[in-house]
Amino acid sequence: METINAEIFTLTYGSMVRQLIADLEDISAVNKQLDEMGYNIGIRLIDEFLAKSKTGKCGDFRETVDRVAKVGFRMFLNTTAAVTNWNAEGTECSLILEDNPLTDFVELPEGCQNLVYCNVLCGVIRGALEQVSINTECSFVRDVLRGSDVSELRLKLLSLNKEEYPFKDDD
Amino acid sequence: MPRQCSETCLELLALELVRAYGRQSRVPPAAAVDAIGFRTGRQLAERYTANRARLGEPLEVIKFVCKEFWMEVFRKQVDNLRTNHRGTFVLKDNTFRWLAKLSVDPAPPAGAAATRAVASVAELARDYLVLPCALVRGALAHLGVNAAVTAEAAVPPACEFTVTIKPR
Amino acid sequence: MIVCAAVIGQANNPLYLETFQQGSSDDALRFHYIVHCSLDAVEEKLALPRKSPGEPSDAYLGLLYPTEDYKVFGYVTNTRVKFILVVDEPVPKDEEMRMIFKRFHAAYVDAVCNPFYSVNTPLTSSSFDASVRTIIMTL
Repeated sequence: METINAEIFTLTYGSMVRQLIADLEDISAVNKQLDEMGYNIGIRLIDEFLAKSKTGKCGDFRETVDRVAKVGFRMFLNTTAAVTNWNAEGTECSLILEDNPLTDFVELPEGCQNLVYCNVLCGVIRGALEQVSINTECSFVRDVLRGSDVSELRLKLLSLNKEEYPFKDDD
Repeated sequence: MPRQCSETCLELLALELVRAYGRQSRVPPAAAVDAIGFRTGRQLAERYTANRARLGEPLEVIKFVCKEFWMEVFRKQVDNLRTNHRGTFVLKDNTFRWLAKLSVDPAPPAGAAATRAVASVAELARDYLVLPCALVRGALAHLGVNAAVTAEAAVPPACEFTVTIKPR
Repeated sequence: MIVCAAVIGQANNPLYLETFQQGSSDDALRFHYIVHCSLDAVEEKLALPRKSPGEPSDAYLGLLYPTEDYKVFGYVTNTRVKFILVVDEPVPKDEEMRMIFKRFHAAYVDAVCNPFYSVNTPLTSSSFDASVRTIIMTL
């Protein structure tokens, strides 16, 4: 896995968020745009993830989320997310991020308290999982940039597509 | 060693940001991507010159960009530096990493289709080069060298950056 | 001990100035004046030819000038941002001053990397302020 100084990624992302705010003006539009961009990134990211992690088919949603949290975050962001707060049905959980290169150096100003700075991550997870036929909803419920100790993403399983195998022979 | 992350993160982010701005028509895309790169370049210059002896005249700054800066940001040094000694510098990178995924098909179709194929890769390269050009321009500006920076990738991933120092 | 720390921008505009001494607001003005005057000394040092050709110049400028009660030290970055430290007795050794400036520089670089900070504008970051306070406490 080729690595780079994370700061180049961190700073490019930061400049981009800053520019989006200037261009779109409306913070909720920026949040939406970050999610969309994340989605487009996620659908491309999954290929590398599957190839490099030599992931076979995951047994269930729980296993998939575990893989995302431990292997995925480590592979790309060089950090890990803890998985907690599962609901009884095993369809909803939280990903806790203590440390995240995207938020290095960032201090949100007064006027941006509604900005979900790392919303791109929600889109990435959603896009990547969709490519392996898992439809989810993902959003931040706690954010280190807005006063919390850790960032928490809430991940909800919406549905599974019938074709569960991304590499079926007769496709 | 400073904190690391996968190169893929940056590659995909850069790709998507160019595409996202290309898809909208609210603001001129090249200008927005340029602003993003410029801002980032300034910050990177601040970081990468922090533990370094003071740079003097423009030539020293350009050399710094070709060696240390290029190494930190583009993971290798510039392969060749030429100048006309009148304020124009040409920096050649034979395997520019940010274009690594964008190369000409080794067996292109013949005739008109070939010309079109090569032309479209060159166009695509130009869009993707806006960001690194702005990064370099931002870094130079922040180090006191006001210059125009353009890039051409006739045969990706080889890339030539032209730095033209603006007269005072 | 350090009684005042300042950051001056590329255009000699003040970006940050904090005093660390109990006193009336008079003192704040006085420090602004001291820092302002030190910029001339900075320009002089920067205009000096290098000790020998090819030898890299230093970011640390050393003692800029003494006032009645204090000594003023300077440091300039490659991006022409100046850091000024006004120091009380006992005056630290050069080695210590260099180290303090390096840490000050590192804190500044992190502040500049905040995407919401605009270059050459006043530094209002609370983490920058906290870092500076930690640094000056080490003396």
